[in-house]
Amino acid sequence: MSTAAMSRIGATSLKIYAMEVILLILVVFLIAFAPGFATLGNFLNVLRTVSMLGIIAFGMTAVIISGEIDLSIGATAGLAGCIVAFVCDGYMDMIGEVPAVLIGTIAALAIGFCTGVFTGKIRQWFNVPTFITTLALFTAIRGIANLVTGGFPMPSFPSWFYFFGAGNLFGVPFPVYVLAVVFVAMHFLMKYTSFGRAIYAVGGNAEAARLSGIDVSLTKTLALAITGALAALSGILLASQVGSGIGTMATGMELDVISATIIGGTSLFGGKGRIWGTLLGVLFLGCIANGMTLMNVSEYWQYVVRGGIILGAVLLNQILERIR
Amino acid sequence: MVRGAIEFRDVTKVYGPTVAIGRFSHAFEPGRIHALMGKNGSGKSTLVKMLAGAIEPTLGELWVNGARVRFEGPRDAYAAGIVTVHQELSLVRSLSIGENIYLGRLPKKHVMGGTVVDWQRLNDDARALMADMGLDLDPRALVETLSVGQQQAVEIVKAMSFAPSILLLDEPTSALAAPEVAQLFNLIRRLRARGVTMIYITHRMNELFEIADTCVVLRDGHFVGATEMKDATSASIVEMMFGGVSMAKRPARRSVDRSRPILSVRNLQRDDVVHDVSFDLYRGEVLGFAGLLGSGRTEVLRAVFGADPHDGGAIVFDGETIERPTPKSMKKRGLGYTPENRKEVGLVQVLSSHDNLCLASIGRIARHGLIDRRLEQPFVDRQIRDLSIRVPDPMDPVSSLSGGNQQKIVIGNWLNTEPKVMFFDEPSRGIDVQAKQQIFEIMWQKAERGLSSIFVSSELEEVLEVADRIIVLYHGRVVAEVLPEETTLAELYKICMEGSP
Ligand SMILES: Nc1ncnc2c1ncn2[C@@H]1O[C@H](COP(=O)(O)OP(=O)(O)OP(=O)(O)O)[C@@H](O)[C@H]1O
Ligand SMILES: [Mg+2]
Repeated sequence: MSTAAMSRIGATSLKIYAMEVILLILVVFLIAFAPGFATLGNFLNVLRTVSMLGIIAFGMTAVIISGEIDLSIGATAGLAGCIVAFVCDGYMDMIGEVPAVLIGTIAALAIGFCTGVFTGKIRQWFNVPTFITTLALFTAIRGIANLVTGGFPMPSFPSWFYFFGAGNLFGVPFPVYVLAVVFVAMHFLMKYTSFGRAIYAVGGNAEAARLSGIDVSLTKTLALAITGALAALSGILLASQVGSGIGTMATGMELDVISATIIGGTSLFGGKGRIWGTLLGVLFLGCIANGMTLMNVSEYWQYVVRGGIILGAVLLNQILERIR
Repeated sequence: MVRGAIEFRDVTKVYGPTVAIGRFSHAFEPGRIHALMGKNGSGKSTLVKMLAGAIEPTLGELWVNGARVRFEGPRDAYAAGIVTVHQELSLVRSLSIGENIYLGRLPKKHVMGGTVVDWQRLNDDARALMADMGLDLDPRALVETLSVGQQQAVEIVKAMSFAPSILLLDEPTSALAAPEVAQLFNLIRRLRARGVTMIYITHRMNELFEIADTCVVLRDGHFVGATEMKDATSASIVEMMFGGVSMAKRPARRSVDRSRPILSVRNLQRDDVVHDVSFDLYRGEVLGFAGLLGSGRTEVLRAVFGADPHDGGAIVFDGETIERPTPKSMKKRGLGYTPENRKEVGLVQVLSSHDNLCLASIGRIARHGLIDRRLEQPFVDRQIRDLSIRVPDPMDPVSSLSGGNQQKIVIGNWLNTEPKVMFFDEPSRGIDVQAKQQIFEIMWQKAERGLSSIFVSSELEEVLEVADRIIVLYHGRVVAEVLPEETTLAELYKICMEGSP
């Protein structure tokens, strides 16, 4: 094989595995320089934090590939915890602990799903960009969440409820199992179903997809609805972890979720991206945040570094796109 | 210095494993019109893009005006007096015609110490340029409101506005109808008289003899030969392009059973563009739509397919009255539509050829929503084989295919849905003679097995050859219905131009 061909294959695989390589380098660096990074306890801790983010990010990946965006997921997550707390607070004595949690959870997931449907329908009927609708929801849902709790944390869960967010199963944090299930489901959905194919087509060129008889609005709406439900799921786990429904919980989470998705190589122009990439993006953000805390980097510097990383990741993707 | 001389010296361009141009050497004499011929994917556009500074040669040298040049971008090419009209339209759809023509060099004027765009001058200049080309359009109109043909004309006007010494035209006529082509040729002759060197790519053989001085033929990226047009015949050029193949002839015309239409349209109305259009399409029939640009051919098809809403009229498809067609519901009923503008709406450019071939049949390659690889693969392989699509790797983005091969993907995408009725809107646009023939053959074969199609083409010869019956549209109305065996090209042309038989 000629050297030119070799370097081409090298460049191609670097392009494909760039994110994996960078994550690996980061982990090695942190093991070497961040005190306490390489312990099992810390590792599980990172995974637990990352799970809450990842569950939503997989949905967000689908939304962004379909050419849309959802800024309301943090608020939806906050509201979901509050709803479960609210139902427990009001009805646990009447209907019992398990039914109350169950009803609260189902209601929260349904509401999350419906916010996605709402956004999708507004897009379809009035052609309002999802950026605008979800920006409005972002504010409105926060308000609703605080109305539900009356503005104070609502620690009304039954004692066993903490398990879902803070407990371990076979030594592994419970949210990690949820993350794994959502990852597999979304990966499968995007890769092996006609719905997944439609998402790529719709995001790549909505008009061509429409003329090929694909229901563009339905596809986008479903992607948004799934993400809304996943945001609610993540919010319930978070509420369980902190032990109460808090209206202001998960503030700013949308930015982390979108960052992870973009770091993972999903294009904001739509049509391109992978669920696997998003998993890497989420792990990357989790490791960076954890590592910097362990290394006693000030909180303000952490923000600066994260900003730099987001921009760096996008630049890297663009450059890799060019060398072929 | 030799103004307008172009020379390629041992130029090679590779894309990954694909050799788009291999060791090409040729000198194009200044002041003449050089046709560049070759089948789809033979490297014509690649050659032109290197001269235009859009891509750089992998190996070899370009010489322009007697000096070696190295273009790092289109700007360098402009600076050397080279202007290009690319195969795929590249106007900004949301800007006006005038802005597009002067994009990046809008005329300025000074007002109260500041510099602002001089709209008055911009629009006046643009109008004058267009009038020069015999084009009567409002320079303030947005490009997205223009038909593909009009956009192509604007693109050419834009190229002219640079007053180039070398003009590269990559299939400029593929979206134009006869009168626009005639206008374009007048313009090209005027430019030749001024000493401009031109490289002209086309798949329309008859144009060569009308406009070109020499013809250079490429096959699979390699130089095959060059000939003076006065010594050439179309047979000798086809021979050079394909290395001796026999062109299929149209099968004998069958008598179509016209007792029960599969599609009947009555009094179709779409404000401003379609007026009171009625026609029937029968099983196994190929119905041709003839007409000038803007005569409403595409608009009728889009309304029936449900791509655009219509304001009145009745559509009966396969015995079923359809109130509000949508592409999705019409596809389910067995109607397919290949749009005329493949780049914008026919393909999803970021996806692979594989995905684009399955776009309309996403539902068919899946069982209960799950994609079945064993079902899917034949969908891809069959079309690549039947349409002889030249795809190095079906998993590469469809944007890496040559123009003609992209067109075939659009058609393959729809044939995969096994439709009962197909609307082919300019299917032969940008396709080489052989591929064109293959597509026509597929239309005839499928017609024999019962597929009905409506065929739109700006090339009237094609409509006469392909269709069993022809409807002529003029300003959104049906003005005549003719049978190809009883009509000459001149007669059909006259009806299209004048709007009456
Ligand atoms: N960006 C690209 N990446 C990979 N391959 C490419 C790219 N552009 C062109 N090619 C390949 O180079 C070859 C020549 O393409 P080119 O566009 O020059 O053909 P063409 O002669 O203009 O064909 P057509 O008549 O269909 O327009 C084709 O095989 C095509 O697939
Ligand atoms: Mg080409």
